[in-house]
Amino acid sequence: MARAAVEMRSVSKRFGPIEALADASLRAYPGEVHALLGENGAGKTTLMRVLCGALAPDGGEVLVENRRLPPGGTRAAAAAGIGMVHQHFALVPSLTVAENVALGTREGSGLRLALDRVHARLAELERVTGLPVDAGAPVAGLSVGAKQRVEILKALYRDPRVLVLDEPTTVLGPQEVDWLFGVLRSLVAEGRTVLLIGHKLDEILRVADRVTVLRRGRTVLAQGRETVDAPGLARAMIGRETTRAAGAARAEAGERVARVEAVGIRGDDGRMAARDVTLDIHRGEIVGIGGVEGNGQRELALVLSGRLPPAAGSVHLPATVSLIPQDRSAGGLVPGFDLAENMALAFHDDRAHRRGPLIAWRAMRRTARQIVARFDVRTPGWRATARSLSGGNQQKLLVGRELARSPDLLVAENPMRGLDIAAAAFLRDKLVELKGGGPGEGDAGAGGRPTNAPPGIVLFSTDLDEVLDLGDRVFVLVRGRLIAVPEEERNPAGMGRLMLGSERA
Amino acid sequence: MDAAALQAFLEASVRLAAPLALAALGETISERAGVINIGLEGSIIGGALGGALGALFTGSPGAGVLAGAAAGTAIAAIFALFAVTLNADQIIVGTAVTLGGLGIAGVVYQSVFGATGTALTLPTLPALPLPGLSALPVIGPALFSQAWTTYLACLLAPALWYFLFRTRWGLDLRAVGEEPGAADAAGIRVRRIRFLAVLGAGLLAGIAGAHLALAHAGTFAEGMSAGRGFIAIAVVVLGRWNPLLVLLASLFFGAASALQFELQAVFANVPYQLLLAFPYLLTLAALAGWIGRSRAPAALAHPWPPRSGE
Repeated sequence: MARAAVEMRSVSKRFGPIEALADASLRAYPGEVHALLGENGAGKTTLMRVLCGALAPDGGEVLVENRRLPPGGTRAAAAAGIGMVHQHFALVPSLTVAENVALGTREGSGLRLALDRVHARLAELERVTGLPVDAGAPVAGLSVGAKQRVEILKALYRDPRVLVLDEPTTVLGPQEVDWLFGVLRSLVAEGRTVLLIGHKLDEILRVADRVTVLRRGRTVLAQGRETVDAPGLARAMIGRETTRAAGAARAEAGERVARVEAVGIRGDDGRMAARDVTLDIHRGEIVGIGGVEGNGQRELALVLSGRLPPAAGSVHLPATVSLIPQDRSAGGLVPGFDLAENMALAFHDDRAHRRGPLIAWRAMRRTARQIVARFDVRTPGWRATARSLSGGNQQKLLVGRELARSPDLLVAENPMRGLDIAAAAFLRDKLVELKGGGPGEGDAGAGGRPTNAPPGIVLFSTDLDEVLDLGDRVFVLVRGRLIAVPEEERNPAGMGRLMLGSERA
Repeated sequence: MDAAALQAFLEASVRLAAPLALAALGETISERAGVINIGLEGSIIGGALGGALGALFTGSPGAGVLAGAAAGTAIAAIFALFAVTLNADQIIVGTAVTLGGLGIAGVVYQSVFGATGTALTLPTLPALPLPGLSALPVIGPALFSQAWTTYLACLLAPALWYFLFRTRWGLDLRAVGEEPGAADAAGIRVRRIRFLAVLGAGLLAGIAGAHLALAHAGTFAEGMSAGRGFIAIAVVVLGRWNPLLVLLASLFFGAASALQFELQAVFANVPYQLLLAFPYLLTLAALAGWIGRSRAPAALAHPWPPRSGE
């Protein structure tokens, strides 16, 4: 076989007590799309940050085209031809697209910045890749999909031999994913190597030539595409069998529990993030709202949970509303609080959790313990702060707490993101159970809601399969407009069409 | 106001504006890189003392300006060591550097000249009349017959504007002040740029201090920086982090200060302390009216690397 473009041998890396990488190896060849798979916390991003020089490994070595990569940080890796497209975009919002692309390059004669040269080369790249972008526009005003195109163009501008993309499809609609994969194929046809981090198996299997699977910081599988299938990969990722639950039965709607009418919402930047949204939510149903990130989901979730007053229209909400925000540290958990203190944020008014004006810490710890046990939250210890948990474990703790409050209305924004496969399946089952009026987590003792009055649930997700699977009624949110998905369009392609159609309008 | 008074007013405006402009232009660079240098006052007083000693011992006010620039830079280096290299809190380090700078300048001054401090007479920076322009009526003597440090401030404003908005280094520096994470990912050395930006601010603040001692007062006095470091920081906001506007904002403040002297003459029965507050009140009003439309660099005063998070 040809010489490896990238070879990582027995890489290890610790963060304090947590062993992020134990024995991770990877070998990727020129001209291939190489997928790096693993559950959340398996070490995928850590391994790629070692490759692009942002982290120095504790052990092991990294070779790029048979040359050992000096542990000299991001510049050495970039010089060796490694380009990275970050999951959380590394862009300066106040600068234009061209200026962002020019950052850190030696573009220009002497000291002067030759932005016209950047524009010219960007136009050339645009033509070759078919990635359209407005080079003179400030990045702040771009859609999430456009920002990702800028990230990709910025990486390609430096003409990398190896392009790393960290979960690029989470911010894209189905048609955009096809298109991105087309671009990746044309890049490897030029002899480059694409390293693709992902977690959606069927998506990855459509584009990858080879697959490496990490589990708890170790490489557990490295095979060609033709010798693996989705169940085998899932097994490798979690280390045991899983069964995919059958689609949830559609519920009959119960009494109306919340209503928003002709609501307009102003975002942080002062622009209208959503307009003319009307929605009834009933007990015992899941309203699934799909759409690409940055189309008003966050703002609508905040309004539905009473955290943000709308700029127009009227909102009627029940007494107890739970919010599972996407950004767990901004509106969910306090990073510096320990587990019981984070429980206290939600339960300090609850009878079973207080003694007069005092917090009943024993009850609070018991509740925390129950949630930790039920949701398999991995904590380093009882006095651990929320910050010390991994992202996935923070999510489990937060979801557990919110379900335990027995809300009348539950608003969840991408609740499965960051969860491993088993925990996502568990949460999915919990949501289904909850809307059916099942016990949920109500035995933690909050409120006096009878178990036959299930909450209404609003589920925002960028994963259309999740919305289709769980939603009794399905909508897409596009540029702040809520569009009901008719029965005949209840599939990913149909939803994708609605999302694109409205974009043109 | 007759022509002579107008000429005096304009001349005083420019003379008062020059040290502010020098310090504020430096601070603009530092803040554009994401570092708010509250220690600016320390660099100014250091520059004033350095300028005084340099001019006194060499007999040359030009050498004094160089010594002042060196002293201002040295004090900024202390700030940068703690606030950038060791990543300590910028506000706390800046406050310490200002208070420390004022104290050390006093100690050095007293140890050289004795505790009583008989008023010191220094060789001063001569006015350099610009040929032709200085012959214009009223504005000629007012604007075009100044010390060279004043002209330096006027030339620096467009030069720094070009640097910030038209050069690679300027782009990298602005990126560091807006989104250091993105700059780092692009291979830019965030700390090095911040360190250099702070040194640049210290250099200009040192020149501003030397100008105070050598062009303005012709002497050194303890505490003669008189809060100009802090006013300069306000001037940067007023000038919306744009060197050209910062120069205008300095002139605005210089004019307000000069006007205050005129007012003292007119309203002799009003307590002068009230009139002394006039430029500051005007600055507050201007800031309140303007600040809504301006935006500070997004990562201003943010540590790098970030202290919490991952």
